[in-house]
Amino acid sequence: MAETVPLAGAEAAWAVWVLPFVAALIMPAIGRFTGRGTGYAAIGFALASALSAALLLPGALGGAEVHDQIPWIQSVGVEAGVLADPLAVVMANVVGWISFLIIIYSTGYMRGDPAITRFWFWMMFFIGSMQLIVLSDNLLQVFFGWEGVGLASYMLISFWYRDKKKDHVGADGHTALGLAAYYSPTHAGMKAFIMTKVGDIMMLAGMFLIFAYAGTFGFRELGADTAWASAMQAEGLLVPAAVLLFGGAIGKSAQFPLNEWLLEAMTGPTAVSALIHAATMVKAGVFLVARIGPLFFALAAAGIMMDQFFEIVAWVGAMTALLLATQGMVNPEIKKVLAYSTGSQIGYMMMALGVAGLSGQYVDGYTAGFFHLISHAMFKASLFMAAGSLLHVVGSRFMTDMGGLRKKMRKTYAFMWAAGLALMGAPFITTGFWSKDAIFAAVYTSGSEWALPLYAIAVLTAVITAFYTTRMIGMVFFGKPSAHVEKMDKEGRIHEAPLSMWVPYGVLAALTIGLGLVGLGLEHELHHLFEVYLGDAFGIHAADYEPSGYALPGFLAGVNPVALGSSLAAFAAGIGLGYVFYIGRQASPERLIASSIFFYAMHKVMLNRWYLNAMIYWGFVVAPLWLARGVHRYFERTAVDAGMNSGLERATGWGARVVQGTQTGVAQSYLFVFGAGLLFVVLLLLV
Amino acid sequence: MDISSTPMMVMALLGAVGVALPVISVARGERGGNSLYGAVAFGALAAAAAYVAYSVLSGSLAEGALLSPGVVSDDMFGGFFALAMLAVALMTTVSSFSYMRKHGHHAVYYSLILLSAVGMVLVAYSTDLIMLFVAWELMSIPTYVLAGFAKRDPRSNEGALKYFLFGALSSALIVYAISLAYGITGSTNIAEVASGFAAADASMMPLALLSVGLFVAGFGFKMGLVPFHMWLPDAYEGSPTPVTALLAAGTKKAGFAAAIRVVIIGTAAVGADWAMALGVLAVITMTVGNVAAIMQKNLARMLAYSSIGHAGYILIGLSVAPYTPMGLHGSLLHVMNHAVMKGAAFVAVAGVVVALAVTHLDKLQGLGRRMPFTAVGLTVSMLSLAGVPPLSGFWSKLVLFGSALDAGAAVPWAVWLAVAGVLNSALSLAYYGWIIRKMYFEDGPGGRVAEPRSTVAVLAASMAFMVALGVYPEPLLNLAEAASPVFTP
Repeated sequence: MAETVPLAGAEAAWAVWVLPFVAALIMPAIGRFTGRGTGYAAIGFALASALSAALLLPGALGGAEVHDQIPWIQSVGVEAGVLADPLAVVMANVVGWISFLIIIYSTGYMRGDPAITRFWFWMMFFIGSMQLIVLSDNLLQVFFGWEGVGLASYMLISFWYRDKKKDHVGADGHTALGLAAYYSPTHAGMKAFIMTKVGDIMMLAGMFLIFAYAGTFGFRELGADTAWASAMQAEGLLVPAAVLLFGGAIGKSAQFPLNEWLLEAMTGPTAVSALIHAATMVKAGVFLVARIGPLFFALAAAGIMMDQFFEIVAWVGAMTALLLATQGMVNPEIKKVLAYSTGSQIGYMMMALGVAGLSGQYVDGYTAGFFHLISHAMFKASLFMAAGSLLHVVGSRFMTDMGGLRKKMRKTYAFMWAAGLALMGAPFITTGFWSKDAIFAAVYTSGSEWALPLYAIAVLTAVITAFYTTRMIGMVFFGKPSAHVEKMDKEGRIHEAPLSMWVPYGVLAALTIGLGLVGLGLEHELHHLFEVYLGDAFGIHAADYEPSGYALPGFLAGVNPVALGSSLAAFAAGIGLGYVFYIGRQASPERLIASSIFFYAMHKVMLNRWYLNAMIYWGFVVAPLWLARGVHRYFERTAVDAGMNSGLERATGWGARVVQGTQTGVAQSYLFVFGAGLLFVVLLLLV
Repeated sequence: MDISSTPMMVMALLGAVGVALPVISVARGERGGNSLYGAVAFGALAAAAAYVAYSVLSGSLAEGALLSPGVVSDDMFGGFFALAMLAVALMTTVSSFSYMRKHGHHAVYYSLILLSAVGMVLVAYSTDLIMLFVAWELMSIPTYVLAGFAKRDPRSNEGALKYFLFGALSSALIVYAISLAYGITGSTNIAEVASGFAAADASMMPLALLSVGLFVAGFGFKMGLVPFHMWLPDAYEGSPTPVTALLAAGTKKAGFAAAIRVVIIGTAAVGADWAMALGVLAVITMTVGNVAAIMQKNLARMLAYSSIGHAGYILIGLSVAPYTPMGLHGSLLHVMNHAVMKGAAFVAVAGVVVALAVTHLDKLQGLGRRMPFTAVGLTVSMLSLAGVPPLSGFWSKLVLFGSALDAGAAVPWAVWLAVAGVLNSALSLAYYGWIIRKMYFEDGPGGRVAEPRSTVAVLAASMAFMVALGVYPEPLLNLAEAASPVFTP
């Protein structure tokens, strides 16, 4: 381990997550006495939290780690603590600084909302919980943060709980399999809460299974002594427990088959979508896999192969990536397109982390997944905030109500291109390109038996991603202005977003390009950081580097040529198709759909989300409700109510009356009972 | 005896103020002065509680219960009970600020509370049977008067009279038990009685057992064990409600303090066979208490029966004490928790009586809207009584039932204590839930009324206790562990 004196110790690590909670607690008081004060307080606390995270950075980059524990539940020997290792510190900085920017954005976006104090309370509560997940040193504490972000997500998705029509998602009147695909904020919040809870329960089960064998929740303790893993392996419980833990990640990161809540989560204010449902909370699942993945991989040293676990991770990621990308191609709502894209991109990260465990070079996939997490957090937060500006200005969530806006909102237009290019993976200048390329390379060179099918899916998804991103930009900024825009423009209501809003997403878009220019160097730095980290903390050492195929010369040295080639091709194909349909408008998508039954069916299936959502509703909402009604009518009213309930009631009532009957109120009889009782006690003692 | 020891200091302080209050009142020759005398009593009690807390936390006290040759001993056990009982006395005093405003004789009222508190504290510290008896009477006699304080209310008179009759009877039994013990062992010191029993001739055994049985009955009256409980609902219902809080949450705990000191330590010498007898009493007590509570229509009376049920839970710990140290931890823990929970519940009822002058359950409809804070306080304390996590009541029940399971390894019947306890807790949720439903889900007449400020203050403090120690029970668990007497049969 490098000899670095960290700039800051454990205090900073605690402060990162405690400060936002403090802010949340005092927020109601500030809101009571000042009007705008809440916004400034939120900015201040978010900045303080982010700065605390930044203080940890020099130490972490030097390979040092801060681990501090305090007693928590002594009776079972569980301690609370912070663990600021390189993984956590990098993540904490991503979360901290993006939160800070989004908080600034929110002061503009939420201006004038009557329930602004509630908004700030839950935003700060969210940041605190998220950083708690990131910096915890044990699973139990992670779970507290996990539930905290879930609660904050629920509260913020349903933030506009009056369920006005403009706050819904989906098109009114659209149905899939006979069920309306049109959701109110309160419905969406509940849906998100319940669906993620399915994952949470699995995670809880996995956690306690491991605890039952290991007697600890601590990450470092679990890594130090792996006897628990051997014991669990002997009972065949290790992989199930790992997969149960992964269930939590599936729910929180909206992966298949628990992906459906993320789309409806778009009912929340856009600042919330940017922070929680794009940049941070949905990454918690990826982070969890990055936290526990090396632990499981390192078990190879003890002779335990966890291939099944990593295969599941990789395939869940790949399926999600493709499934959600296809749905993003057809949806008319801008925030939902971005939401599909988010789920799809997280699928990429999962795929990388899964493939890492299947390859001999763990650090490659690990770095690629995490690098993509960072770059995605930046460009997707930027895209979401820009989309929020559009919603704010145009007053509609449908892209069909926009169009031709490039002259009216120049800054938003430029920034959306920058961030959009990153999402598409525009070569050499965007972070998105380098991180996606790293994933391609990791999958391609993994040597796993699944490498090729996974690789094909990854490339196909990249084509689709470039296509739907171009489509989105084309529909919003190019073409003729829609009737809606024309009308608003006449009233002079189309203008650029205010300063407090465009600066945050401008900063992130600029960062995306700026860091993209040095993207390869960044990747190498990260690779080196994680190589040292995995070696020190888990004893996972990188195999000697063997360049495969043709090594590229010049500034591209070290890049896998096959991955690079497919990356360029995918970008070109996607943006080309998108240009033809939505910017140059040489072809019309409507005509294509009408042209053959194949395209018509595909369009319909994708628009109806592969009918997955409708099936989930039929299976888990409608059918149980029918069953419940049936049970209520035919069983509860007859057998339970008439038979058991009134029977039990009568029996208890009789017993109570007997007891009550002895309470006559006559002192003499009380005294008699007292005497009898005395005799009874003495007799009990004598026998 | 060291004059600076805790029991001496508390006795001197509370006793002096208690005696001085009526004298001042006569000297001033005026009526009223509720807030003055209340404040003085509050100050004295707070000072005493602070002193006890300081001595407990200073760590200078001996752990567990000492068997000293003197008449009182300054140990953790006594300190623990003294804290619980002073807390209840404080709650009673504060809630009386509003309750007693319309009644007279304030100086006497607060003075009686103080004197009773002195008695309760001394019971906890006594190591000599005569001292114990004197403290017992000092605690009881003021409460007879307090129970009948509403002298124009026939129910108050009736309750006080029944309470007094039983008190007199049980005092007589205790004296008889002491005389038997003295006759057998030639001493009134608890330690010497215990060793005397152990060394006594076999022919003396029936008499020794009779003595123990008389102790159980004598203290069982105060603890509200079935079948020595029959005075209890009448007295609790009839007494002024703050006094009921004192009876249910305070003097009742003194019964347990005495029982643990005398019965357990004494009978440890006799043998462990009595444990099952206590177990049987525990099951009968909790079942009768909870079943009877279901049918009650009066809130105070329902809580009275519920406190009989809780006496049963605490008795579980006593009965398994010879087999596992957890038993007494649980009992002490529940003594402390029950003192606060039940005290808070009765204070809430007192608040309702002051504001709305009702105690009938049907009149509680819509209370959640009419008196929101009181309703929340009542709800939290009832949930805690039912043992719903994460409130403090959950932990003490957990330790109690856990101790029964633990003892099950040695004596199989102990497991049934845990089963009975869990079933009874479930049963108790039925009537607590019923009250909660009445308060929140049924609409009642009338709009919002002013809630007595003293009630709000007491409820806020007790809710803080229940929630804080429910979330983080460690300190109280440690304290109860340090205060539990250690003994082996």
